[in-house]
Amino acid sequence: MNAQAKGRVVLKGIRKTFGSFVALDDIDLEIEPEEFFALLGPSGSGKTTTLRMIAGLDTPDAGVLEVDGVDMTFAPPGERDIAMVFQNYALYPHMTVRDNIAFPLKMDRVEKSRIQPQVVQAAERVRIEHLLHRRPGQLSGGQQQRVALARAIVRQPKLFLLDEPLSNLDAQLRLETRVELKQLQRNLNVTAIYVTHDQEEAMTLADRMAVFLDGRIMQVGTPDEIFNRPQTISVAAFIGSPPMNLLPATLDGRSVTLEGHSIELRSAPPCPPGRVTVGVRPSHLRVDTGGIPARLYLTENLGESRLLNLLIGEKLIKMRLTEPGDFADGDTVPVLFDAESIHLFDAESGLRIDND
Amino acid sequence: MNRHQRAAARRTVVLMTVAAALLLVWVFPLIWAVVVSLKTEAEVLAYPPNVFFAPTGQNYNDALVGGFSIAPSLLTSAIVSTSTTVLTIVLAVPAAYAFARLRLPAKKSLGFYTLATQMVPPVGLVIPYFLILNRIGWLDTYQGMITVYLTFSLPFAIWLMVSYMEDIPVEMEEAAFLDKASRLQTLWHIIIPQVRGGIAVTVIFVFLNAWNEFLFAVQLGGNTVRPVTVAMYNFVSVEQTLWAKLAAAALIAMLPVVIIGIAGQKQIVKGLTVGAVKGGSRR
Repeated sequence: MNAQAKGRVVLKGIRKTFGSFVALDDIDLEIEPEEFFALLGPSGSGKTTTLRMIAGLDTPDAGVLEVDGVDMTFAPPGERDIAMVFQNYALYPHMTVRDNIAFPLKMDRVEKSRIQPQVVQAAERVRIEHLLHRRPGQLSGGQQQRVALARAIVRQPKLFLLDEPLSNLDAQLRLETRVELKQLQRNLNVTAIYVTHDQEEAMTLADRMAVFLDGRIMQVGTPDEIFNRPQTISVAAFIGSPPMNLLPATLDGRSVTLEGHSIELRSAPPCPPGRVTVGVRPSHLRVDTGGIPARLYLTENLGESRLLNLLIGEKLIKMRLTEPGDFADGDTVPVLFDAESIHLFDAESGLRIDND
Repeated sequence: MNRHQRAAARRTVVLMTVAAALLLVWVFPLIWAVVVSLKTEAEVLAYPPNVFFAPTGQNYNDALVGGFSIAPSLLTSAIVSTSTTVLTIVLAVPAAYAFARLRLPAKKSLGFYTLATQMVPPVGLVIPYFLILNRIGWLDTYQGMITVYLTFSLPFAIWLMVSYMEDIPVEMEEAAFLDKASRLQTLWHIIIPQVRGGIAVTVIFVFLNAWNEFLFAVQLGGNTVRPVTVAMYNFVSVEQTLWAKLAAAALIAMLPVVIIGIAGQKQIVKGLTVGAVKGGSRR
């Protein structure tokens, strides 16, 4: 990372309430220059509020926002050198595509002669140069989205904010645009902050991400870290499709007891014996004669794999099965919990118990 | 023709008949005015009425350039109505924007009081306005008449414009702010172009009300400010009523309103903002 790189965003102790509802509770976050950073969480978790705070469209009740070391907490949006793509694109319907893209330059008092080449360049980057004379109302959703992108990049902003930009596209187009978006951000060398509730989008696009739940950041890390080492039960329960199986168990030294069956860990975790929650991803479960017997409740065929819904005692778990196997609903299937791939969480605090 | 087509045709016939009947009730005074305006005064009073007569343009000539010409009053009406309309729009657009968007203290009650002024019967205000204008020496002046008209047109215009402005997605403004536009630039470049239809409607209503106003004009105006609605009485006196010239004057006075209505129609219908936001045609 080079020292001159611009677009470093720091949030310290940001708090925001709407009436009695705490939208953001003590948010601390550092976003590095040129990073593609995702804010991931379910709706109402505070991710969009955080983005609006960074954009200057909302101001926090407490806390500080710094961009490149400068306090920007209460700076008006226009002074932040930020571009944003809104979920509904917010294109100006009475202007042509050309005028839409030129608008930020006009407001920035860019010389008239320099506006047109920049508009064309931005349009070419997102491949809409043939649509410049049209109005937003004459464009498809995907094209409108590109216009919004072009309008955002034309000014070469310091920060590039995206609020669920793909959510209004159909599934096929979303996959295509996702790749292009990532490519675009790399070429522009600009910090991008991306709000989404779609974890697949966050995982594929982001260099790093923050998981929001109930107005708090539960975990910050690379997609790999978040997926492979969730720090709390709530993150574990949110990430993954389907998410991790979470089962109550007891821990005693190296031994985890789950519905009357014990699993031997390689080493004893650094915590006293007691109640824990065992987490295991559906894809990490295997069918093995040495496993815990479970009753097959329902099989979901996903094409490339099958998802077995199994009952261990009263607990429903999901297992992703890629290899063939002939199971009928109601069969008893032995399920092996691999000691290497299980996650342990403190049953009280919900925090991860590290064991390595 | 199958059964469905027949039913549709029958429905069209019934609808058209009902519409024509209703239209006739509304349009009858107009037809009467047109017919009368083309007769001579003697023919107007003939009994039984003449269905066939030689139309004359003399009444229009008399109404415009005759001894009791309404031409100066047309100019007065134009000055008063245009000034009222321009001032109303200039003041109402930013006011409506503030009501629609800003977080103002007591916004709700302000909105209510704005509308409450519309609930007072105008006749109850004639005497207070007369006394006020008399005290400040504004009776029978343009500024007096226009100010009084503004007190009615502004609340109405603000109320009308607010609903148009509230329809514009907030994100569009936020996008403009991020694009370094100021509040006023946003109002000018983003909001106003999108509420052009609303402004057109407001212009038509305000102009029409000012042009047609009679009660205040007759009480607070007089000789200097004598709008066409008052000047119509040139043709009514104790001795006689010149029906044909009165009808001609009425039709002439009606003309600007009709022209504005037709010209503005297109603006109103035009869905300017369709497709701006995903989901599209909100208006």
